[in-house]
Amino acid sequence: MQTAIQLILTSLQIGAVYILFSLGLTLIFGVMRIVNFAHGHLFAVSALVVAYTVPWLADTGLPVLPAYLLAVIAGVAVAMVLGFLMYVFGFKYFQRDMVGSFILSIGLVLLLDGILLKTFGGAVRPVPEILPGTVTILGASVTVQRVALCAAAVIITAALYWALTRTKLGKALRAVSIDHEAAMLQGVPYNRMALAGFMIAAALAALAGALIAPISIVSPVIGADYLIKGFIAVIIGGLGSVPGAILGGLFVAAIETFGGFYLDPTSATIAIFVLVIVVLLVRPKGLLGHG
Amino acid sequence: MDDNLKLPYWAIGIGIALAATLIVKDPYISSVINLISIAALMAASLRFVMLMGELNFATAAFVGIGAYTAGVAVTILDWPFLVALVLGGIIAALISIVFGFVTLRTKGPYFLLIGFAFTEAIRILYSKSMVLGGNSGMVGIFPPMALDAWMPTFVMAVAAILIFGLYVLERSDFGRILTAIRDNEDVARTVGLNILFCKIACFAAASFAAGIAGSLHAFVNNVISPGDFSFLLAAFALAYVKVGGEDNVVGPLVGAVLLVTLGSYALGLGGQEHIFYGTAIVLAVLLLPHGVTGIARRGWALIARKEK
Amino acid sequence: MSIVKSMKFVVLGAVFGVAGSVAGANAQEIIKLGLSIPLSGSGATWGKGSEFMCKEAASEINEAGGVKVGDVTYNFECVGYDNKYNAAEGTRVAQTLLNREGVKFIGGSLGTAPVKALQSLTERQGVMIFTTAWGSSIKGPDFPLTFTQMNTPFEILPQLIPYIHQAHPEAKTLAMLNPNDASGQETESVANGVWKKTGVEILSSDFYERGTTEFQPIAARLASMKPDIIDLGGMPPADAGAVLRELDSLGWKGVKVVEVGTGADGLKATGGDAVEGVYMGAGVTFDGPDVTDHQKKVNEDARAAIGESLNAIQIGFYDSVYALKAGIEAAKSIDPKEVAKVMPDVTFKTFYGGEIGFYGMDSYGSRQQMRLPVIVTQIQDGKLVEMARVVPDGK
Repeated sequence: MQTAIQLILTSLQIGAVYILFSLGLTLIFGVMRIVNFAHGHLFAVSALVVAYTVPWLADTGLPVLPAYLLAVIAGVAVAMVLGFLMYVFGFKYFQRDMVGSFILSIGLVLLLDGILLKTFGGAVRPVPEILPGTVTILGASVTVQRVALCAAAVIITAALYWALTRTKLGKALRAVSIDHEAAMLQGVPYNRMALAGFMIAAALAALAGALIAPISIVSPVIGADYLIKGFIAVIIGGLGSVPGAILGGLFVAAIETFGGFYLDPTSATIAIFVLVIVVLLVRPKGLLGHG
Repeated sequence: MDDNLKLPYWAIGIGIALAATLIVKDPYISSVINLISIAALMAASLRFVMLMGELNFATAAFVGIGAYTAGVAVTILDWPFLVALVLGGIIAALISIVFGFVTLRTKGPYFLLIGFAFTEAIRILYSKSMVLGGNSGMVGIFPPMALDAWMPTFVMAVAAILIFGLYVLERSDFGRILTAIRDNEDVARTVGLNILFCKIACFAAASFAAGIAGSLHAFVNNVISPGDFSFLLAAFALAYVKVGGEDNVVGPLVGAVLLVTLGSYALGLGGQEHIFYGTAIVLAVLLLPHGVTGIARRGWALIARKEK
Repeated sequence: MSIVKSMKFVVLGAVFGVAGSVAGANAQEIIKLGLSIPLSGSGATWGKGSEFMCKEAASEINEAGGVKVGDVTYNFECVGYDNKYNAAEGTRVAQTLLNREGVKFIGGSLGTAPVKALQSLTERQGVMIFTTAWGSSIKGPDFPLTFTQMNTPFEILPQLIPYIHQAHPEAKTLAMLNPNDASGQETESVANGVWKKTGVEILSSDFYERGTTEFQPIAARLASMKPDIIDLGGMPPADAGAVLRELDSLGWKGVKVVEVGTGADGLKATGGDAVEGVYMGAGVTFDGPDVTDHQKKVNEDARAAIGESLNAIQIGFYDSVYALKAGIEAAKSIDPKEVAKVMPDVTFKTFYGGEIGFYGMDSYGSRQQMRLPVIVTQIQDGKLVEMARVVPDGK
C-alpha cells in the first residue's frame, strides 16, 4: 500500500512538469497549427539561467529563497525574449504550415543546441537546495521542493484554465484554435492571437524550466527528454486540447513511474511509445482531440 | 506511360553522375559521394510520401530496419551481398505495410508524431537486443572485395535506379491518385478509390527505397549502431527536401548534394557544426520557400521571358 | 614618401614577414594526432576535456624539443572531430581524419560505437589508434594497431569490488543500475561476475535510457528492494548524483558505489550531500600531499577551459600522446605499423607520475593496455579522498 502511494505521488510530481510542458505545445498547435520542436530549448534556457544566477546571487549575500525567485524572473524573461525572437523572425511566416514550421524548428533546434553549448558549456550546473527537508504524506516521503513544485504547477495550470475559459483573450484563443476563419470573421485579430498564444506557451515552458532547475540535471540538453514526453502527452490527449494535455501528461508520468518500478526504465520507455500507437489506433485524434 | 518522363534528361544526368564517380579516386571524396547518394535516396523516399500530403518521420526507422536486415543477413546468416541488399528493402517494405495499415488512418501531425515515436521505439529495441550488438552496434558488414573500388559507382547506380523508379510511379496514374488524396481525400474516396490501400502502397514503395538506403548505409559504413537511426536522420532528409525544393523530383537531389557537402565542411568546425548547420536550414526555409530549385526555376523563367 | 607609398611598404613588409614565418614553420615536420570525440550533446564536456589534454601534452612535448627520429624533429598537432557517439558519425569522422587530414595516428577516441566504426577503417588502412572504449571485443591479437589509454572495468573492478567488500563485510545484498548503452552493458557484465565471486547476492540489475532526467521511479524501485549496496556501475556522474539524491529522500542508507565514477564535481552537482561516502574506481584526486604541482596546474587550466575537474578519460588523452612519442622514438620511424610493433615494449611518462608500459596478456591475449594505477576513491566531507592505489601486475 505504501508503495502504491509512493508511486502515485511520484507520478503526480513528474506529471506536474509534463503538464506545464505539454500545455504550451498544445496551445501553440491549437492556435497556429504548427509543431515546434524548439520548445524544449525555451525550457532549457530558463533552467540554465536559473542555475547560473542562483549561485551568483547567493554569493552576493542574498538568502537562497529570494535569490531563487529573482533567478526565476530572470530565467523566464530571457526565455520569453528568445521565444519572441523565434516568433517574429521565424514562426510568424509559417502559421498553419506544419511541414514548413517543423523544418524551421529543427533548424532552430540545431542552432540553439550549438549556441547553448557554447554559452553555458556542457557541464552540469549545480543548483543549491532552495527548500530543504522532506515531508511524509500518507507514509510516503517526498522532498519539500517537489511539493512546492507540484503546488506551483497546479496553481499555474488552474490560472491558465481560468484565463482560457473566463477572460476575453482566452475565449478568443480558443475560438481561433477551433476555427480560425470563423474567429476572424467575428473580428478576432488572428495575428495578435497567434503571438499571444506563442508567448503564453513560451512562458509556460520557461516556468517549467525554472521550477525543475533545483531538482533536475541542468545541462543544455535537458529539454530533449521533456520534449519527447511532452509531445507524446499531447498526442495521447489530442493536439490542441487543454484537458487532453493534462490527461496525457499524467498518463505518461504514470506509465513511466509504474513501468520503471515494476519492469525497468528502458522497458517503461518502450511501453510509452507502444501506448501512443495503441491510443491512436483506437482514437486517431487522441483521447480528447477535435478538429 | 507518356512522353512526359523526360527520359533523355534522366539518361544524361545519371550517365554524367556515374561517369564522375568513375574518375574520382580519392577515398575521402568517394566517401562523401556515397553519403550524398544515400542521402538523396532517403530524401526521395520522404518526398514520395509527401506526395500524398503526409510527413513520414518513420523513414528513419525504415532506413534502420534495412541496415540491420542487411547486417544480420551478411554477418550472422552469411548470405550473399546482393540478397542482403535487396532483403533490406523487402523487410522494410513488409514492416511498413503492417505499420501503415495501423497508422495511416491518422493524418497530419498525428501521423508525423507517431512516426517519430515508432523511430525512437525501434531504436531502443535494437539497443536492448544482444543479437544485434546492443548499443555498440554491428561490425564487419563488408561488401564483396571485388566491389570495393567500385562502391561509389555502385551505390549511386542503385540510388539512381530507385529514385527513377519513384519518379516513374509519381508520373503514372498512381501518382495522380496520391496527389488527389493530398488535395482532398474525401473527393478521392467518392470516386470509388480505396484510399487506405493506395496510401499503404505509396508508403510501402517509399519504405522499400528507405530500406535499400539503409542496406547501402550498412555496406558503406561497415558498422552500424542504434544511434545512427534516430529521428534526426528523418529531420535531415526533410532538410534536403526543403532546401532543394519539394515541388519536383530534382529538389531533394540538389538539397542532398548541397547539405551533405556543407555538412562535411562543417564537421571541421567541431562544436560549432550545429550552429552552422542549423543556421543553414533556418535561412534556407526563411529565404527560399520553394528551395534552391524554386529559385533556379524562377530565374530560368525570367530569362526565358526576356528572350521572347 | 606619400601615405599611399608608405602603406605599400608596410603591406609588402607584412606579406614577406608572414611568408617568412610560414616557411619557418614548414621546416619543422608535423605529426597530426586525430581525435574522434563527442563535442556536442551530453558527452561534450568529456570530448572537450579530451581535446584539451591532447593539446596540453602536445604543446609540452613540442616546447621540450618535439619528437626526434634521426635528424628530423616532429611536432604534434591534435585534430579533433565530433563523433556524436554513434557509428554513422564515427565513420564520417574516420573518413575525414584518415582520408582528408591524412592522419596516421589516432591520439584518442571516445565512445564504443564510433570507435568500432573508426577501428574498422584504421586497421585496414594501417593507422594506429588509441581508445578509451571498453570491451574485450575491441582489443586482442586481431587488432594489432589498437591500444587502450585508460583503465577499463576489466582492470578496475577486480581491485575496486574486493576492496569495498572487505571494508563492508556486513553488506550482503546488492542492486545495480547502468545506462542502456555499450559502456553500461559491458560494465554490468564484468561487475556481475566480480560481485558474484565475493559472495554478495545480486537482487537486481537494471538499465535506463541515457538522457533521462527524472530518476524518481527507478530510485523507488531500487530502495524498495532494500539492498545493502547500490552499485551505479557505468552511470555518468550527473545521473548517478540524481539517483543518489532520490534514494536519500526515500530514506535509503547503505553502501554507494559508482564503479567507473570519475569525479566528485559532477556527482555533487546533482546529488548534493547525498553523495557522501560514494566509492569510485576511476576518480582522480587533485588535493592531498601526493599531488604534484604539474598535476594541479594542468587541472586548474582544464577547470578554466571546460568547467570541470579532469577525469580519467580525459587524462588518457594526455598519456597517449606521451606513449606515441616514446613509441615513435623507439621505432625510429613514423610508420604506424612499426610504431605499433614496438609499442608493447616501450615505457613512457604518465600523467599520474612515473614511467609505465603496456600489459594485458591475461585479459586480452596481447599487451595493448596501459599499466595505469587503479585508484580507489571515496567522497568524504564533500571531497574526493584516495583510499588505495594499486598498480596492477600480470603480463
